[in-house]
Amino acid sequence: MDTNTNFKHKMAAHCETGTLVGLLGNAGLEITEPMAFGIAHGIFFGYFESKNFPFPTFIVRTRPGEVREKLAKSLKIDINRLKFKNQEKGMQKLDDLLADGRCVGAQVDFFYMDYLPEWIRVHNNVHFVNIVGKDGDDYIISDSYHHQIAKLSASLLKKARWAGGYMAPKGFLYYPEKIITKPDLKKPIIKGIKKASWNMLNIPIPFVGVKGIYKFADKINTWPKLTRDTEHLSHEIMKINILLEDQGTGGAGFRYMYATFLKQAAAIVNNPTLDEMSERIMKIGDDWRNISYFAAKMGKNRDLGSDKIKELSELIRKQGDAEKAYFTDLKKVY
Amino acid sequence: MKEKDLYVEFEPQRSVYYVEKEDNSFGPIISGSQLSANYLDDFWMKKRNLEAALRKQIIANEISPIFYYMTLQEMGPKDLASRVGMSMRKLQKTFRPEQFKKLKIEKLRVLADIFNIPVSNLFQTFLIKDENREKLIIEQATTKNEFYSITKVSVK
Repeated sequence: MDTNTNFKHKMAAHCETGTLVGLLGNAGLEITEPMAFGIAHGIFFGYFESKNFPFPTFIVRTRPGEVREKLAKSLKIDINRLKFKNQEKGMQKLDDLLADGRCVGAQVDFFYMDYLPEWIRVHNNVHFVNIVGKDGDDYIISDSYHHQIAKLSASLLKKARWAGGYMAPKGFLYYPEKIITKPDLKKPIIKGIKKASWNMLNIPIPFVGVKGIYKFADKINTWPKLTRDTEHLSHEIMKINILLEDQGTGGAGFRYMYATFLKQAAAIVNNPTLDEMSERIMKIGDDWRNISYFAAKMGKNRDLGSDKIKELSELIRKQGDAEKAYFTDLKKVY
Repeated sequence: MKEKDLYVEFEPQRSVYYVEKEDNSFGPIISGSQLSANYLDDFWMKKRNLEAALRKQIIANEISPIFYYMTLQEMGPKDLASRVGMSMRKLQKTFRPEQFKKLKIEKLRVLADIFNIPVSNLFQTFLIKDENREKLIIEQATTKNEFYSITKVSVK
């Protein structure tokens, strides 16, 4: 196996932060996943209805790619970014970078990652992996969601890199060029906290931030009308659990990871208030986790009457209230 | 959440979660998926029922295989249209069998590529009789010829 052997594979909660932390670690900058997420103010909420998706959905983090860009800006990391119209050139460039001993981050359609269990693989163009070597016609992949280094055939990698469609990867590759190995994290931490609070409270769009949580609470009451039958509704309700817990969030829609960030941040900036805020968001996370359990049970038991959906809606609305109060207080810290 | 409350044993699907550890510090653990550990059977049952219902509609000539695969793979029509390189309106027409048959073979190849299936699967389904389900395996492989695939049926 022709691997760039200095790369240490490690599972991570989230693919974008996982690949980024892996690439930076490989280049000499050790930073934890929650720290990368927090500095890049990744915590978020948004509720979306679009023909790009087969059903309404929600996100619990900022736009894919933003964590990478914001972290690079905050820590003054020079990142090389490459996109390719020509697939052959894009594959050749990847081979050249690997031959140079580089490890390369790539954006791919998650569906084609055939080393992962079939039941989790859906078409999603914003999955990130690190490509760390080549073995014959196979590429050696470090995927944050896989417990070990994996292999992916060149043909599947090609499909995944040029999948087309919503947020198409367009062969996107990236790798750090120049880094500071021991950056001062104090200012980036404070800036990240301020921006996260602003994003959750002040973006003037009615379906993002805290407003997005309320929108979700309202709109979930309309879901029965949008589904084919009871089993479809059950599936969509159970997907709430997937989106909050299993789709690379670290649990409770990134709220547990953010709590860990604030705990680490409190020690670095020497501010005990952040410790308290860390405990608070951990508890808010527990309530999101309870919503996940509640939704899973509802779906499994086909307990999908309007009263039950209203109950779920009210639980989500309470999360809106809790996060509104929380981010208002967090904003006051700095 | 406390580590002991979150941890689930489920080897096929493990992820990193952040938890409150025994010493009150916060950090990552690797745990199985609570949802998959408890409800995966339900997921597969719904998937099988959906597949059977869609197949029935194909057989009755009510929908095209494009609609069948798009629905099974949970894709949105706008997203799929953009992947195929046609307008959403035009794609939606191909959900009807009478429009599907007008598609050129090259377009079918693109669609099969997106769905990650051999082109031939847009015209057929392989089913194993219930009594043989535990005994037989169907394996499909594409070849260098993009329009030709090989299907092997073997005994486990």
